[in-house]
Amino acid sequence: MRSHTFYELTNAVVGIAGLGGLGSNVAVALTRLKVGKLVLVDFDVVEESNLNRQNYFPDQIGQHKVDASLKNLRRINPEADLEGHKVRLTPEKIPQVFKDCRIIAECFDRADQKQMLVETVLSKIKDVVVVSVSGLAGYGRSNEIVTRRISDRLILVGDTVSGTGPGVPLTAPRVGVAAYHQANAIAETLINIGNAGVSPASDMMKGENP
Amino acid sequence: MSATLKINGTEKTFDQGLPSTLTELLAQLEINAATVVAEINGDIVERKNFAQTELKDQMAIELIRFDGGG
Repeated sequence: MRSHTFYELTNAVVGIAGLGGLGSNVAVALTRLKVGKLVLVDFDVVEESNLNRQNYFPDQIGQHKVDASLKNLRRINPEADLEGHKVRLTPEKIPQVFKDCRIIAECFDRADQKQMLVETVLSKIKDVVVVSVSGLAGYGRSNEIVTRRISDRLILVGDTVSGTGPGVPLTAPRVGVAAYHQANAIAETLINIGNAGVSPASDMMKGENP
Repeated sequence: MSATLKINGTEKTFDQGLPSTLTELLAQLEINAATVVAEINGDIVERKNFAQTELKDQMAIELIRFDGGG
């Protein structure tokens, strides 16, 4: 890695909205990548039903996901710069909580919450990129999960059709594929910011949301 | 009177006239407004303004739909 690329990664502040199947795993990838600082936000506590896909352990059931994630991420890197917020994100709170962030990962579970976060970031915060996920339920079909650049400020990961519902579970492998697409899109975006002016060697799909 | 919208990059012609608002368009497309981020001609339209957002011939509309799961 060239030094200015390393600089962008190690000085970036990245927000993670939600620490469930997506967010807890995106946080692991970005901590191992040594992204400068992570702002972790979730109001919820770890439940037994989370352990099939989220980066928590049985002895953490009942703990706030923010507290459990801080502990787990500091085991990966004791020097990690991490900021936790135990709040329910609303359109009013989002700009303040993520005020230092260059990129925000949308890692919510519910479709209406995804909508709220993306709409708020695009309409109320200037110059921030949001990386969102839609369509990751079930198993198999890894290659249908893709990363699309919808606009300069919105990157969308997923197969765009597989919502969760009765008989369509959320599973560790497929949620993990989506989470690591998301983390990889964040890494690529930060590196491209560092290489501004140099055309990116990206295979990210351009254009339309089907 | 026929009119056209470009929806997610694809031209869609309305022979009986355009839906009058973004809310009406989403209803015609059977899309739940609570799960959609909308842009018109590159500008984001907040969901609270969908019902007041009037549609005009040749508008370019992006509808980004979200499915649950995470």
